[in-house]
Amino acid sequence: MDPQTQVDLSKLNEADKKELNVVLANEAQKSNIQQMVHQLNDVCWKKCVTSKISSNTLSKTEEACAQNCVDRWMDTQIGILKHLEEMRQ
Amino acid sequence: MSFLGGSSSSSSSSSSDVKANLVQQLQQESAMANARMLINKVNENCFQACVPTPGSSMSAQENTCLSSCMDKYISMWNITSRTYINRIGVESKRMGGDASVVASMGSGL
Repeated sequence: MDPQTQVDLSKLNEADKKELNVVLANEAQKSNIQQMVHQLNDVCWKKCVTSKISSNTLSKTEEACAQNCVDRWMDTQIGILKHLEEMRQ
Repeated sequence: MSFLGGSSSSSSSSSSDVKANLVQQLQQESAMANARMLINKVNENCFQACVPTPGSSMSAQENTCLSSCMDKYISMWNITSRTYINRIGVESKRMGGDASVVASMGSGL
Protein backbone atom coordinates (compact mmCIF):
# COMPACT_ATOMS: atom_id res chain seq x y z
CA MET A 1 0.00 0.00 0.00
CA ASP A 2 1.30 3.44 -0.84
CA PRO A 3 2.31 5.72 2.01
CA GLN A 4 -0.36 8.22 2.89
CA THR A 5 0.08 11.89 3.47
CA GLN A 6 0.66 12.81 7.05
CA VAL A 7 -1.89 15.22 8.46
CA ASP A 8 -1.21 17.79 11.13
CA LEU A 9 -4.13 17.46 13.53
CA SER A 10 -3.11 20.51 15.54
CA LYS A 11 -4.22 22.67 12.63
CA LEU A 12 -7.85 21.68 13.07
CA ASN A 13 -10.15 24.28 14.58
CA GLU A 14 -13.01 23.36 16.93
CA ALA A 15 -15.77 23.54 14.30
CA ASP A 16 -13.88 21.21 11.96
CA LYS A 17 -13.14 18.82 14.82
CA LYS A 18 -16.85 18.61 15.57
CA GLU A 19 -17.66 18.04 11.93
CA LEU A 20 -15.03 15.31 11.70
CA ASN A 21 -16.57 13.57 14.70
CA VAL A 22 -19.89 13.43 12.88
CA VAL A 23 -18.26 12.13 9.69
CA LEU A 24 -16.38 9.54 11.71
CA ALA A 25 -19.51 8.33 13.49
CA ASN A 26 -21.37 8.02 10.18
CA GLU A 27 -18.51 6.15 8.54
CA ALA A 28 -18.30 3.82 11.53
CA GLN A 29 -22.00 3.05 11.26
CA LYS A 30 -21.75 2.51 7.51
CA SER A 31 -18.83 0.21 8.09
CA ASN A 32 -20.76 -1.79 10.71
CA ILE A 33 -23.66 -2.21 8.33
CA GLN A 34 -21.35 -3.34 5.53
CA GLN A 35 -19.77 -5.89 7.89
CA MET A 36 -23.21 -7.18 8.74
CA VAL A 37 -24.17 -7.41 5.06
CA HIS A 38 -21.02 -9.45 4.38
CA GLN A 39 -21.85 -11.84 7.20
CA LEU A 40 -25.51 -12.13 6.17
CA ASN A 41 -24.71 -12.59 2.51
CA ASP A 42 -22.30 -15.39 3.41
CA VAL A 43 -24.99 -17.20 5.41
CA CYS A 44 -27.71 -16.63 2.80
CA TRP A 45 -25.48 -17.61 -0.13
CA LYS A 46 -24.85 -20.95 1.53
CA LYS A 47 -28.56 -21.46 2.13
CA CYS A 48 -29.92 -20.16 -1.18
CA VAL A 49 -27.38 -21.03 -3.87
CA THR A 50 -27.20 -24.77 -3.57
CA SER A 51 -27.40 -25.97 -7.17
CA LYS A 52 -24.56 -26.03 -9.68
CA ILE A 53 -23.59 -22.57 -10.95
CA SER A 54 -24.46 -22.42 -14.64
CA SER A 55 -25.47 -18.82 -15.13
CA ASN A 56 -24.09 -15.47 -14.05
CA THR A 57 -27.42 -14.15 -12.82
CA LEU A 58 -29.50 -15.20 -9.86
CA SER A 59 -32.63 -17.22 -10.61
CA LYS A 60 -35.99 -15.90 -9.45
CA THR A 61 -36.02 -18.55 -6.72
CA GLU A 62 -32.55 -17.63 -5.50
CA GLU A 63 -33.45 -13.97 -5.50
CA ALA A 64 -36.60 -14.54 -3.46
CA CYS A 65 -34.68 -16.85 -1.14
CA ALA A 66 -32.05 -14.16 -0.55
CA GLN A 67 -34.68 -11.63 0.46
CA ASN A 68 -36.52 -14.09 2.70
CA CYS A 69 -33.23 -15.16 4.22
CA VAL A 70 -32.40 -11.63 5.35
CA ASP A 71 -35.90 -11.00 6.68
CA ARG A 72 -36.09 -14.30 8.55
CA TRP A 73 -32.62 -13.72 9.97
CA MET A 74 -33.84 -10.39 11.34
CA ASP A 75 -36.98 -12.09 12.72
CA THR A 76 -34.72 -14.59 14.43
CA GLN A 77 -32.63 -11.89 16.01
CA ILE A 78 -35.70 -10.00 17.19
CA GLY A 79 -37.23 -13.22 18.50
CA ILE A 80 -34.10 -14.02 20.47
CA LEU A 81 -34.00 -10.56 22.00
CA LYS A 82 -37.69 -10.82 22.95
CA HIS A 83 -37.17 -14.20 24.55
CA LEU A 84 -34.14 -12.96 26.49
CA GLU A 85 -36.18 -10.04 27.73
CA GLU A 86 -38.87 -12.47 28.99
CA MET A 87 -36.27 -14.63 30.70
CA ARG A 88 -34.93 -11.62 32.52
CA GLN A 89 -38.28 -10.93 34.18
CA MET B 1 -3.62 4.45 10.30
CA SER B 2 -0.96 6.91 9.34
CA PHE B 3 -2.98 9.95 10.30
CA LEU B 4 -2.63 9.03 13.95
CA GLY B 5 1.13 9.35 13.68
CA GLY B 6 2.65 12.48 15.13
CA SER B 7 4.93 13.79 12.44
CA SER B 8 3.67 16.60 10.28
CA SER B 9 5.09 16.68 6.80
CA SER B 10 1.83 17.88 5.42
CA SER B 11 1.46 20.20 2.49
CA SER B 12 -2.06 21.10 3.58
CA SER B 13 -2.11 24.33 5.54
CA SER B 14 -5.57 25.36 6.66
CA SER B 15 -7.93 23.56 8.99
CA SER B 16 -10.34 22.79 6.18
CA ASP B 17 -7.52 21.27 4.08
CA VAL B 18 -6.60 18.99 6.96
CA LYS B 19 -10.25 18.07 7.40
CA ALA B 20 -10.80 17.32 3.72
CA ASN B 21 -7.64 15.23 3.70
CA LEU B 22 -8.77 13.20 6.72
CA VAL B 23 -12.24 12.60 5.31
CA GLN B 24 -10.75 11.42 2.03
CA GLN B 25 -8.35 9.01 3.76
CA LEU B 26 -11.14 7.72 5.94
CA GLN B 27 -13.39 6.99 2.98
CA GLN B 28 -10.58 5.33 1.06
CA GLU B 29 -9.66 3.06 3.98
CA SER B 30 -13.30 2.17 4.46
CA ALA B 31 -13.89 1.37 0.79
CA MET B 32 -10.70 -0.69 0.78
CA ALA B 33 -11.76 -2.69 3.82
CA ASN B 34 -15.16 -3.34 2.26
CA ALA B 35 -13.61 -4.51 -1.03
CA ARG B 36 -11.10 -6.75 0.77
CA MET B 37 -13.92 -8.38 2.72
CA LEU B 38 -15.90 -8.97 -0.47
CA ILE B 39 -12.91 -10.54 -2.21
CA ASN B 40 -12.35 -12.89 0.74
CA LYS B 41 -15.98 -13.97 0.76
CA VAL B 42 -16.16 -14.47 -3.00
CA ASN B 43 -12.97 -16.49 -2.88
CA GLU B 44 -14.24 -18.66 -0.05
CA ASN B 45 -17.71 -19.31 -1.44
CA CYS B 46 -16.85 -19.60 -5.11
CA PHE B 47 -13.90 -21.87 -4.46
CA GLN B 48 -16.30 -24.07 -2.55
CA ALA B 49 -18.84 -24.02 -5.38
CA CYS B 50 -16.56 -24.22 -8.41
CA VAL B 51 -13.55 -26.28 -7.39
CA PRO B 52 -14.98 -29.40 -5.73
CA THR B 53 -11.86 -31.48 -6.35
CA PRO B 54 -8.74 -29.38 -6.96
CA GLY B 55 -6.73 -30.73 -9.89
CA SER B 56 -3.21 -29.87 -11.02
CA SER B 57 -4.53 -26.76 -12.77
CA MET B 58 -7.75 -24.84 -13.19
CA SER B 59 -9.96 -26.23 -15.93
CA ALA B 60 -11.74 -23.96 -18.40
CA GLN B 61 -14.99 -25.06 -16.85
CA GLU B 62 -13.82 -24.08 -13.39
CA ASN B 63 -12.78 -20.67 -14.66
CA THR B 64 -16.16 -20.08 -16.29
CA CYS B 65 -17.86 -21.16 -13.09
CA LEU B 66 -15.72 -18.74 -11.08
CA SER B 67 -16.64 -15.71 -13.13
CA SER B 68 -20.35 -16.60 -13.10
CA CYS B 69 -20.13 -17.23 -9.38
CA MET B 70 -18.52 -13.86 -8.78
CA ASP B 71 -21.27 -12.05 -10.72
CA LYS B 72 -23.90 -13.95 -8.81
CA TYR B 73 -22.28 -13.32 -5.44
CA ILE B 74 -22.12 -9.58 -6.08
CA SER B 75 -25.72 -9.35 -7.26
CA MET B 76 -26.77 -11.25 -4.17
CA TRP B 77 -24.68 -8.88 -2.04
CA ASN B 78 -26.65 -5.98 -3.45
CA ILE B 79 -29.97 -7.71 -2.70
CA THR B 80 -28.85 -8.56 0.83
CA SER B 81 -27.70 -5.01 1.40
CA ARG B 82 -30.94 -3.49 0.09
CA THR B 83 -33.15 -5.88 2.06
CA TYR B 84 -31.14 -5.45 5.27
CA ILE B 85 -31.07 -1.66 5.07
CA ASN B 86 -34.82 -1.56 4.37
CA ARG B 87 -35.47 -3.81 7.32
CA ILE B 88 -33.37 -1.90 9.84
CA GLY B 89 -35.13 1.23 8.61
CA VAL B 90 -38.50 -0.38 9.30
CA GLU B 91 -37.41 -1.69 12.71
CA SER B 92 -35.94 1.55 13.93
CA LYS B 93 -39.04 3.45 12.80
CA ARG B 94 -41.17 0.92 14.66
CA MET B 95 -39.17 1.60 17.80
CA GLY B 96 -39.57 5.33 17.28
CA GLY B 97 -35.97 5.84 16.33
CA ASP B 98 -34.49 8.02 13.66
CA ALA B 99 -34.02 6.09 10.44
CA SER B 100 -32.68 8.96 8.38
CA VAL B 101 -29.00 8.00 8.74
CA VAL B 102 -29.76 4.43 7.74
CA ALA B 103 -32.03 5.47 4.91
CA SER B 104 -29.37 7.75 3.49
CA MET B 105 -27.00 4.84 3.06
CA GLY B 106 -28.92 3.65 0.05
CA SER B 107 -27.17 1.63 -2.60
CA GLY B 108 -24.70 -1.15 -2.04
CA LEU B 109 -21.38 -1.38 -3.79
